[in-house]
Amino acid sequence: MLKYTVRRLLGMIPMLILISVVVFSLAKLMPGDSLSGEIDPLNTNPQYIAEMREKLGYNEPLPVQYFNWVTDFVQGDFGKSTRFKVPVADVIKEKLPNTLFLGVTSLLITYILAFLMGMYSGRKPYTIGDNAIAGLNYVMLAIPSFVAAVFAIYFFSFHLNWFPFGGSVDIQVEEGTLEYWISRFHHVLLPALVLGTLSTASYTQFLRNDIIENSRKDFVRTARAKGTPMKKIYNVHILRNSIIPLVTFLGFDFAALIGGAIITETIFTYPGIGQLFLNSVTTQDYPTLMALTMLLSFLTLAGNLLADILYGIVDPRIRLD
Amino acid sequence: MKNNKRFWLIAMFLTLAAFLAACSGSDGDASKDDSSTDDSKDSATAEGEPQKGGTMVYGIDAPPEGLFNSAFYGIATDAEVIGLFDEALIDYNEKLEPQPNVASWTTEDNKVFNFKFKEGVKWHNGEELTVNDWVFAFETIASPDYDGPRYSNVQTIEGAEAFRSGKADTISGVEVVNDHEINITFDEARVNNLTNLWPYPLPESVLGDVPVAEMSASEWVRTTPIGIGPFKVDKIVPGESVELSRFDEYWNGDVNLDKIIVRVIDNSSVVGALQNGDVDMISLQPVSGPEVEPLENVDIITYPGLSYYYVGFKLGKFDNAKQTISEELPKYQSKELRQAMMYAINRQEWADAFFFGYAKVVNKPVPTSHWNAADDSDLNTYDYDPEKAKELLDAAGYVDTNGDGFREDPNGDEFVVKFSHYATGNPTFEPRAQAITQYWEEVGIQSELEMVEVNLYYEMLEKDDPSMETFFGGWSTGSDPDPSATWKADQLWNYTRYNNPEADKLLDDALNIDIVGTDQQKRADLYIEWQKIVNEEVPMLYIAELEEIVALNKRVGGTEYDVSGSNSPAKWFVKK
Repeated sequence: MLKYTVRRLLGMIPMLILISVVVFSLAKLMPGDSLSGEIDPLNTNPQYIAEMREKLGYNEPLPVQYFNWVTDFVQGDFGKSTRFKVPVADVIKEKLPNTLFLGVTSLLITYILAFLMGMYSGRKPYTIGDNAIAGLNYVMLAIPSFVAAVFAIYFFSFHLNWFPFGGSVDIQVEEGTLEYWISRFHHVLLPALVLGTLSTASYTQFLRNDIIENSRKDFVRTARAKGTPMKKIYNVHILRNSIIPLVTFLGFDFAALIGGAIITETIFTYPGIGQLFLNSVTTQDYPTLMALTMLLSFLTLAGNLLADILYGIVDPRIRLD
Repeated sequence: MKNNKRFWLIAMFLTLAAFLAACSGSDGDASKDDSSTDDSKDSATAEGEPQKGGTMVYGIDAPPEGLFNSAFYGIATDAEVIGLFDEALIDYNEKLEPQPNVASWTTEDNKVFNFKFKEGVKWHNGEELTVNDWVFAFETIASPDYDGPRYSNVQTIEGAEAFRSGKADTISGVEVVNDHEINITFDEARVNNLTNLWPYPLPESVLGDVPVAEMSASEWVRTTPIGIGPFKVDKIVPGESVELSRFDEYWNGDVNLDKIIVRVIDNSSVVGALQNGDVDMISLQPVSGPEVEPLENVDIITYPGLSYYYVGFKLGKFDNAKQTISEELPKYQSKELRQAMMYAINRQEWADAFFFGYAKVVNKPVPTSHWNAADDSDLNTYDYDPEKAKELLDAAGYVDTNGDGFREDPNGDEFVVKFSHYATGNPTFEPRAQAITQYWEEVGIQSELEMVEVNLYYEMLEKDDPSMETFFGGWSTGSDPDPSATWKADQLWNYTRYNNPEADKLLDDALNIDIVGTDQQKRADLYIEWQKIVNEEVPMLYIAELEEIVALNKRVGGTEYDVSGSNSPAKWFVKK
């Protein structure tokens, strides 16, 4: 197992180098640069823009720029955001807790819903209830999150007044108090619900199919022959076996947790990584954009590795070495 | 079943349309006027007696970047927040003329200015404001390590260049007389020295020890900024909200409100938030106007803006190294052609359709509310007249010779107008550009539209890319109305490459102190002369000027708006 992990980790290095080349070239291929948005005769003049380009090193040959960027990056210096004028690492650190909070909450909602729906569908496959659940799941999978977000705000925030329509916390409550955490939870709930309920399909259907498959296995027949109640068979024997493959999904959710929900965060004006990512694209904040893309690529690779290792742990039949 | 499908299709289209309408957010123009200055003149409010206390919610439509200092900010939303807790030393009235605020001034020759500060003006940390804070601001901005864009506001002080290049330790043109008096000498006498001068002090008591290169990242800019305005910043939640409370030692009279909460509100939520009373005051995009108007608890207030939209013609090519126009492009040199294209456009209809009544047709490159704007009676107003356009085209030799329904150029060759417009996420841009090409096609000019990604767009414009022939653009003007930066032949941002020595001479004369002295009327007359020339020659087709729109909850009182922006937030109040 250890050997396998080390081998996979080493294999990630060329992959990351390739990704860094792609990220860098794509960023440089984008038209304009972080200063092209500052054309404004009131506040600035062409000389300033030319000077800043020189200062930021945009006039150096591309290989030199790439080399500088990679060397700094490896040493943990992600550069300075051209937009916020502070180190990118600080900007990310500032937004990360919000995104994690939203990500974990929405994931929990997905798990709970998918668990309930999957169990029901697995136990009563091909019934009206099962079909209804499948239909509902795919409809929600098909709804774009931004449409759902706008409707959720309109209905739950403005019409019913149940949730705040944006932000991550009420600024008027004292930080650190119980009230503060309640306020944060209240703010995160609606975006988390939108994100969580829309992505139940894969979990539900996976669980359902696994339960159906397991219910035809020999150990189920044996248990039934011995007179074990059906309830117990489903809730203990089958479920325990069917949950195992689901664990590996966690690895894939890893990157999604950090990456945040780009559009949803923007609509809810929820200051997280997703909103930061979108804004750094529109304002051409390359250092932030490149650092985030690298970070997310790395997390996706790490998530895949984690998923593979988890497979080996929960199912000893799979040999990794 | 088939019907059912169609129903869903329509329903989905409607959903999409509703969404697109809701998210058609910020306009992608390069320049937004963010030089709003507070107007602190005393006002008797129409809505009744000011009431003390209460909290007001102030909405902004994009997350602030968090650079809460005038010397460092980059976007208009940050400037809006700064405007609530800080104010400039010099103010502007509704004619955009400078007025004393904290500082008053005297000058005899427009080269040497003597400024006197009011005594007893306090920073939010309790320190008294002195002229040293202003000197500190100049030296910060003129420092070679300074990473903001405001150096052009300090550059004209004598000795600023020498200070920046490290040849001098101080700026020689700045002479401190005492804590409340200062003399500033400019490198030469200009009529707009005062309006161009950097008008914000920087708190030396807190930023004095911070190296200039680290200032924009420091807590005094990002999380605990201070100013001299009527409200002080209590708390900032980065990227979403700011809490401000009354500053009891504010120098200029009483402050009515207890608190102002600034909240970021996404464009898709603005209407709902206004309706529910979750936000009391917010600037609107024109597209939200028709939805907000019917709300019973909200008033819409408009005031003149300082920006105009145009369709420009590429008349030449610019050589940036030599700072001259090096080449003339022949295609659009015919004045009659340009005028005909102007007559062909129904600008009123266009502005009503795409700006929902919040824009006015303009006939000159100067916003109407500026003191130097020419009256429309002095100008050709180019009222929509397709017949006249056709006559002009016929006379200039643009006639249909091969019977394809479109006109050929005077040599008998195919004539196709290429029109470029920038593309952002805003879905109204393409139809509004399309509408312009349709007006031209109606008088027989074949037109092609190209939508270009916004960042690439300005790069192509600047480099005179051959694929840019006619283009859509917008400019905004500041408190000084001098249009040199976007109009003179030696300027990079003169995108049309309009080259008329006679017009440039008028612009130079209007800034020349030997010619106009300190007489504003004389200056205005020269600008009016200039507007007559560019109105006749139409190197760009002037389309419309925008109005600024503010939505105000009816419980808010004490507000006043004019072309210089809102009055001081100290006067605002909420009814209980």
